[in-house]
Amino acid sequence: MDCDRMAQLLPDYWQGALEGHDAEFVAAHLKTCTACQELVTLGESLAELRPEQPSPALRERFHAMLDAYEEGRGEASHFLPRVSGAWPWTWMGMRPTVAMGAAAVLLVAVGFMAGRYLNGGEASRSQQELAGMQAELTNMRQLMVLSMLQQDSASQRLQGVTWSRRQPKADPMILGALLHTLRYDSSVDVRLAALDALSRYGDQTQVRQGLTEALESQQSPLVQVELIDLLVAWRDGSAIDQLHRIERDQNVDPAVRERARRAIDQLS
Amino acid sequence: MSRPVPDEELMMLVRGGAGDMLGVLFDRYQVPLFSFYSKLTGNRAASEDLVQEVFVRILKYRRSYRPGTAFRPWIYKIARNAHADQARRRRIEVEFKPEMAPPVLQNDLAAASQQEALLHRALLELPEAKREVLLLSRFQGLPYSEIAELTGCAPGAVKVRVHRALQELRDVFLRLGGGRATNGKVAGVNHGL
Repeated sequence: MDCDRMAQLLPDYWQGALEGHDAEFVAAHLKTCTACQELVTLGESLAELRPEQPSPALRERFHAMLDAYEEGRGEASHFLPRVSGAWPWTWMGMRPTVAMGAAAVLLVAVGFMAGRYLNGGEASRSQQELAGMQAELTNMRQLMVLSMLQQDSASQRLQGVTWSRRQPKADPMILGALLHTLRYDSSVDVRLAALDALSRYGDQTQVRQGLTEALESQQSPLVQVELIDLLVAWRDGSAIDQLHRIERDQNVDPAVRERARRAIDQLS
Repeated sequence: MSRPVPDEELMMLVRGGAGDMLGVLFDRYQVPLFSFYSKLTGNRAASEDLVQEVFVRILKYRRSYRPGTAFRPWIYKIARNAHADQARRRRIEVEFKPEMAPPVLQNDLAAASQQEALLHRALLELPEAKREVLLLSRFQGLPYSEIAELTGCAPGAVKVRVHRALQELRDVFLRLGGGRATNGKVAGVNHGL
């Protein structure tokens, strides 16, 4: 009986909403009833579970999405890749190879239609449609690059990095993907190529920030040295704390530590 | 000290087109949402996808945010819908992954961690609707009125569901070898997982 009453009172007890007789009843009952004690303890344990931290990649993905939105002012949202899998850009849930195929078909189609309209006479309508298609084409290029960057084969990923250079202007999603590649790609060659592609975007805060963060997690001495040189070339003083850490870290390759020391002198 | 800008004001700015204000809301909600999803699904990668999806939807449907709407129930409603849609699309199998919970250690000092790991396991064994109502009310600390709004039932019904879910959780927890409650504390029992 008492436990039935507890069932009615406990939900309010959790939220501190019990007063007077009800509060006294709960306190007294808990002293004698193990089953209800267990419920209270479990309920308290649930409230005390530790929050889990997402990986830093989530923030990068969010900001890449936000930048794409800011650029496209809402129109971009139609083209935003549907989120699925660890990579945000797996388009519409397709597997990368399928997405690449679809993108290639669309690229060819856009080219074909453009040619047809240019030869034909429907000038104003065609220009309008062409403008729409070019917007789509830009997204297709983006899609191709993003798809290629997540292929299993390192040579295809390298090709993806090469393709990224064909983008007419800095695209936050592509930059985000290149930064991801720079940090996490298993191949040193691909990481170096990504760094090289990123070196054109020293004026982008996203890239500067990303490079400093990549320096922290980078294991390959080759990539570390290239990164340090690039930050020096950009005169990026914000990386100086990071450079000090590298210089002091006994586990880092001596040549890299020496390069970091020189970079600190140059940036100070 | 300056008063933090309420979520609702930030969302009104986002609604008006100030996308960068969404960054502030992201900072406030990414950890609670991620924790909610990862405890609900037992899958970290899917949980990150879902958090991203919530913010994509906020941008996409920003104009549907009506002035005066409390932001927290609104974002959790989006979060629930995103999860339901993803589950429909991908038929997520909830699986318990060891990295979801602290490792089970051998010594007595680790008893608290063991109990927490068991609690995670027990949660994942509950039917999803029960797990969700427990997470929303106890872990996220949402008032019953907000949960009622989210789930479309009366606050009284939410209270009943919370209590029943908790009873079921206790049964699973004890079956898995969780410690019995003593003096308000979960006892550290060497259950030898």
